Amino acid sequence: MSERPGFPTESRTIVISKDTDGGYVISIARMLARKAGFNENDEFLIAAAASELATNIYRYASAGEVAIRIIRDSGNSRAGIELLASDSGPGIENVDLAMQDKYTTKKGSLGSGLPSVKRIMDEFTIYSQIGIGVKIAARKWRQHGQS
Amino acid sequence: MDNRIDNPVMRQEISTDLKLQLLDQIPTPVMAVNRDFEIIYMNQVGAELLGKNRGELIGKHCYNQFHTPHCNNDRCCMRKAMTTGEMVSSRNKIPLSDGDKHIMYYAVPLKDEGGNIVGGLEYIVDISEQVSYEERLQEQSRQMSTPTIKLWDGVLVLPVIGVVDSLRAQLMMESMLNKIVETSAKVILLDIQGVAAVDTAIANHLIKITKATRLMGCECILSGISPAVAQTIIQLGIDMVDSITTKSTLSDGLAEAFRILNMKVQKIT
Repeated sequence: MSERPGFPTESRTIVISKDTDGGYVISIARMLARKAGFNENDEFLIAAAASELATNIYRYASAGEVAIRIIRDSGNSRAGIELLASDSGPGIENVDLAMQDKYTTKKGSLGSGLPSVKRIMDEFTIYSQIGIGVKIAARKWRQHGQS
Repeated sequence: MDNRIDNPVMRQEISTDLKLQLLDQIPTPVMAVNRDFEIIYMNQVGAELLGKNRGELIGKHCYNQFHTPHCNNDRCCMRKAMTTGEMVSSRNKIPLSDGDKHIMYYAVPLKDEGGNIVGGLEYIVDISEQVSYEERLQEQSRQMSTPTIKLWDGVLVLPVIGVVDSLRAQLMMESMLNKIVETSAKVILLDIQGVAAVDTAIANHLIKITKATRLMGCECILSGISPAVAQTIIQLGIDMVDSITTKSTLSDGLAEAFRILNMKVQKIT
């Protein structure tokens, strides 16, 4: 994760403790995605993914944080956005199940949150430990040709 | 700066002593710690913030001085800066005798000649005014955020602008349902052209709103579906197409409303 020596990165960390914090995550995600050079469609998609992560923290862990940053790959040829979500909640019991569409442990939820984050982003890693919490890292790279 | 002043200080790089004095005079708290989070430097304003002498702070653990929600846990930006080698910043609150002080703090790793991280430097910016301004703005936008407007006889419109959270979705629903009763509307246009983002939670709110209006005998048309929104809904894997009438623009939505009401807009000839 630290293969970007010397490349400028910009990062914001948003603490999630209440419902309305998700709105702040959306604004920051859109702002940084725009700065990284993503087009409007991607900006919107990245905001959705970031908001999804924030909603999950608020719903299942009640508190945690979402970090959003502009990244560059090691060859400095591409810019991208990295979303890092971490909480100290109960953890996810079955990560494989949680990654399936329409699976949820909460009533009234659509249960497509995590799988859609994975679909939107290019890289996705999830690490969950029962009783310790969940850490999710997701990256989306700018496609060549986007100015 | 006046170049005529014959002051050696202005002509060459200033001494280390003077640099430290400058750091002391910066009107915002500046602190440096070693890898064990022991304070190795605190400027005057920082010491004043804590109500202590600078001397007595040296060698103390910073987390035992500030007691913020980030102190001595993984949320600490200083810890992250030392781990990642990058600048890390975040909002935080310092509990003081006269209440919580809202701050933004920025931490950078301190490196020795060999590039090894030996500690960290941090500065703190007071953002109380900004926070109270944001709170006021949030409250104001909440009050303005749910206008259901009568567009035509039997047609209502609710433009959704900005961020939709569950409280706002609830207010939108109430505002719409009340207005439906009040105006006996048969069609309501929920225009999401200006929405900041759509995620599964927000989509879920929108689906619920359209279902509730339908229960009251009022057709709900979701308009303002931009290419970005359409793409996002597909990526989210939400099936909105079958259950909700959607239109790309508000005017298309209005045309559909007229069609439902068996009305026709005509040019006067």
